[in-house]
Amino acid sequence: MRPPEPPHLLGLSRRLRQIRVMTGKELRQLVRDRALLIFIVYSFTLHMFVAAGSEASDLRDARFLVRDLDRTPASRELVSRFLPPHYRPAGEVAHPGEALDRLDRGTAVMLLEIPEGFSRTIDEGVEPATVQLLVDTSSANTGYLASAYSARIAARYGAERAQENLARAGAVREQLPGIESRDRVWFNATLDEKWFSTISELLTMITVSCILLPAAALVREKERGTIEQLLVSPLTPFQVMFPKVLAMIVVTLFGSAVAYFGILLPVYGVPARGSLLLFFGVTALYAFANAGLGLLAATFTRRTAQVGMLMLLTVMPIIMLSGIRAPLESMPGWLQAAIWFSPLRHFLEVGYGILLRGAGVAELSDSIAVIAALGAVLFTAGLLRFRRQLG
Amino acid sequence: MNARRVIAVAWKEAREIWRDRLYFGLAFALPVILMIVYCYGLVQDVENAPFAILDHDRSTLSRDYARRFLESRYFDFKGYAADGREAERLLVDARVRMVLVVPPGFERDLREGRPVAVQTIFDGTNTTPIRTLRGYVESIHRALGAELRADRLARTRGLAPERAEVLLQPLRVETRYLYNREVRALWAIAPSMIMFILMMTSPLLTALSIVREKETGAIYNIYSATITRAEYLLGKLLPNSVVSFLNILVLFVLATQWFGAPFEGSFRLFAIASLGFVLCTGCLGLLVSLLAKSQQAALMISVICGVVVALNFSGMTTPPQAMPPSLHATAQLFPAMAFRNVVLGTFLKGLDARLLWKDVAYFLLYAALAFALCATLFRKRTKA
Repeated sequence: MRPPEPPHLLGLSRRLRQIRVMTGKELRQLVRDRALLIFIVYSFTLHMFVAAGSEASDLRDARFLVRDLDRTPASRELVSRFLPPHYRPAGEVAHPGEALDRLDRGTAVMLLEIPEGFSRTIDEGVEPATVQLLVDTSSANTGYLASAYSARIAARYGAERAQENLARAGAVREQLPGIESRDRVWFNATLDEKWFSTISELLTMITVSCILLPAAALVREKERGTIEQLLVSPLTPFQVMFPKVLAMIVVTLFGSAVAYFGILLPVYGVPARGSLLLFFGVTALYAFANAGLGLLAATFTRRTAQVGMLMLLTVMPIIMLSGIRAPLESMPGWLQAAIWFSPLRHFLEVGYGILLRGAGVAELSDSIAVIAALGAVLFTAGLLRFRRQLG
Repeated sequence: MNARRVIAVAWKEAREIWRDRLYFGLAFALPVILMIVYCYGLVQDVENAPFAILDHDRSTLSRDYARRFLESRYFDFKGYAADGREAERLLVDARVRMVLVVPPGFERDLREGRPVAVQTIFDGTNTTPIRTLRGYVESIHRALGAELRADRLARTRGLAPERAEVLLQPLRVETRYLYNREVRALWAIAPSMIMFILMMTSPLLTALSIVREKETGAIYNIYSATITRAEYLLGKLLPNSVVSFLNILVLFVLATQWFGAPFEGSFRLFAIASLGFVLCTGCLGLLVSLLAKSQQAALMISVICGVVVALNFSGMTTPPQAMPPSLHATAQLFPAMAFRNVVLGTFLKGLDARLLWKDVAYFLLYAALAFALCATLFRKRTKA
């Protein structure tokens, strides 16, 4: 038997063919493995639940108590303006202690207290009438909205009463200054939330599969020992690792094309205001960066069970913190600095930039350069560790 | 039940936890990482939103108007845009989330008592913060408008400004925030996250420790030994529950020291309830181990079920008082809602045992029932 030729003697075309064959092998393996396909679905559904849970929902059925010391038509009128769906009355209380007890038990979230002489004070218009609001803010969103909406209701009622009183006093309706708020929403004029959320889902899906699948593929070869076979074959570590990345890029491009042309565009009408070619080009680059991260992480694990851990420890933080869930600017500085190293943070700008803002290469060159640099560093680091481990 | 055999299993389990570096790291590092990731990732306080102003008026009043946004902690001023083209570029480059457009004649119109319209252009790509931002902008506009109106009325009628203010708005609302005085989402989320994370990790630890023995085959020693099913399960449950309890203590320190959440209640009560809770979640892990054959399956089942239960049946997404009866009844099947009640009660509300003893009793009853169920379903004989 003739010993295999050392790799450096092989021609370029032969090396390329080897890479092509290996990529084909990776793709076939990926398609045949049910568990991995299920794994994508799993992370996708889990992520959907997390996304649903973090949604800041509007105020609904906030149960409020009333302590009305005035008992006039005016006070009753004010109470009657706290309406469903935001508010739901939970009864009257005679003592503040009773209200506190109900709030402690969580059977009500707000107490509205109307002082004695409320109606009279308003009509006199000399001193302001003050109503007290006690709000349970142990759920910050509910508490904030309950108090904000109450303030709005009270302000409107007060202004109406003031107008009536001024008119009764025979004041001529004079023109008064004021600032009117006019909004325009660019890039998404109807404020269609689905545009943002579906693009987010797509980018998340790309991220999850690009990190996990190459990692799982490499770990499985390590676990089953087939990696040894590859290493004794005339393939360099690069030729073993790069096809895994290449296969992932192919799968990602295919998946995103199906997602965009099959779901985002026809179902939700998500526009592509920039160049789709650029979008898919950067997606390929992003898949490369993520696959590099996945392979690097795979060199730290030995068993497939640990890939699940990998998911919790790398993919989850990347998805939660890169700017899809919470706005980056509200995070502490050290965390923002750490997130700079997440390729997703930069890919978000590219994705939204091209699809919704209609940005081109000129606006996005920074982000694209960072993704390329991160990808190169991650892949090289993974390759070096892989070589040292098994070379 | 033979205590010596239980202790023997528990002691062996404890040594395994200690020796397996990966498991040890997993057991203690995972909750901390999840806590940090989720707390920062789920808090959606809109703060420091970058914005620019396109000032067509360039007057004293328009600068005074801008100052109100500059001083707010909700906004982060990125500078004036020279013209419409620059404003557009700032938005396309995603360097600002909104641009305020002050119209020409802003000062003149307001001084002469005419209303003016200020346009806010939002970047609509991320729709989530827009509603909140819009509310902030409107409230600043409202406040400035009210001031200007009062000024005007005071001048035309010769009234004191305070008097004019009352004439225009005779109603004032005094709001007191109970439990979370600064209405910080983080203060409410950090304690809830203790519940959320433990709902995932605590069943996971117990489930993995049994399924691992199934995978390696070590469990056949148990099958053939004299130890009873309940003794074996209890020996598995106790050390893992201790690990989970230690995790709660670590997360408690993180929540209070790192995230600054206030703790108003009794620590002893919190600790007792936590012990009951980790027993419950440990028993859920035992249930998972009955279903799972591989560690990977155990991991998936525990994490998925943990997330689903913690999100839907704990009161985090729908507050218990707003739950429909069917949902409320389903939520009773899991210890998540009761523990969230305890956590929020002891952290923010400062409740005492008078209002929380029921939850503690619920945990003990729940753990006893769940354990009995596992012991009955656990088979020492594998099906052929």
